[in-house]
Amino acid sequence: MNGLTSGFGAWNPIAWALLFVGILVVSFIVRSLGNKGYKRGTGQTKVFLSGNEEPDTPDALHVRGDHLYWGMIDGLSAYYRRVKAWHTGILSDYVAWFVGVLGLVFVILVLVR
Amino acid sequence: MSGTLLNAVWQGIVILVGGTLLGMIYKGLDRKLAAQMQGRIGPPIRQPFFDVIKLMVKENVVPDHAVGWLYNLMPLLSLASVATLLFYLPLGGFQPLLGGFGDLILILYLLAVPSIAMVLGGFAAGSPLATVGAQREMVMMMAYEFPLAITFLSLGWTLSTFMPGAHVFSLSVLAANPLWGMVGPLGVIGLILLFAALMIVTPAELAKIPFDIPEAETEIAGGILAEYSGRNMAMFYLADAIKMVVMGSLTVALFFPYGLSGLVGLSGAWGSVIDVAFYLVKVFVVIFFAVIVVRVAFARIKIGQAARLFWLPITGISLLGMLLLTLDRFV
Repeated sequence: MNGLTSGFGAWNPIAWALLFVGILVVSFIVRSLGNKGYKRGTGQTKVFLSGNEEPDTPDALHVRGDHLYWGMIDGLSAYYRRVKAWHTGILSDYVAWFVGVLGLVFVILVLVR
Repeated sequence: MSGTLLNAVWQGIVILVGGTLLGMIYKGLDRKLAAQMQGRIGPPIRQPFFDVIKLMVKENVVPDHAVGWLYNLMPLLSLASVATLLFYLPLGGFQPLLGGFGDLILILYLLAVPSIAMVLGGFAAGSPLATVGAQREMVMMMAYEFPLAITFLSLGWTLSTFMPGAHVFSLSVLAANPLWGMVGPLGVIGLILLFAALMIVTPAELAKIPFDIPEAETEIAGGILAEYSGRNMAMFYLADAIKMVVMGSLTVALFFPYGLSGLVGLSGAWGSVIDVAFYLVKVFVVIFFAVIVVRVAFARIKIGQAARLFWLPITGISLLGMLLLTLDRFV
């Protein structure tokens, strides 16, 4: 069974996929031994909202996508403040950054060599 | 050929069943010892087995606005993906069953799969609290993956300087060649720092206090798992138990792969028995210090604090460890 070899390690995706499917089937069988029933259309199927009235429409329960990385942005706010300030929205500024970083990489490469 | 395959299947069953049972026992020990440390009696060590049996007979509620197929599939994906990890790790002093088919880089990726399954399950629940929990889990993953990757890469790179051309990211090679005896004083300090980083990443990977932020019962009522119940919850419970064994075994394989059989002059079956027993103790010690002591000693931190902690001090510790290992090899 051939796999991918990096020279430092190896990975065989087919072996993993076979193993994964095998264990998935076993997990499915184990789960199917459990109780699958519940009372549809009762208060049981309303989501838990800490005692608040549950709205009937899914839209009213939606949490907006811009909260997605809130923890990361809040935790690293000092970094994000600085980086956001650099984002001027002017194309020539971005090209200048690109050329500058490229030049820096070349200098590092020359120094390393 | 068929004999080899049969042997591999047999070993696979032992690994799967053994890893699950071991995870449940460690989970029981975790709860018992944490209770004892807090002056409580605590549940019996076999309590996790009772919990799973009880969950299996409870109703398996699917919320009204949930994406049903995704909601039901994710617990299975989480359990199956975490169980595959057992086959790439040296367990009980034995070579990994699929050691030649996957390395440390694969393990780094596979460790993310159960968490991604939990995130998708949380989003699919159609509940605001589960969505917030899923978002927190995503941020947690983004936070701890970087120091974890630095730790793995540093170990592999250092070994490559001693063994050029070898498959240095293979767990078999890493476990057979512990770096402690190879590197100089600077390298030993670097290894200690990398070990410390991995010990701090471990409770985050397992979503235990102080990093149980995606579940946070007192704030978001279980968050990512708030809506799960019955047999679906049992699957996540089992996945969590296996992940505990995975993280413990990974730490042991990378930093403490030593056996006792050679030291006491035993070989054959008795040598294997003593090596397996020693491995169980080592995994327990890792779990004891990385999970049990930490969760008794600390309170839950906020998600912003966790992101800052992993991206600044813990990444700093792992980068310093990498730098010291590099200096050790070239200065």
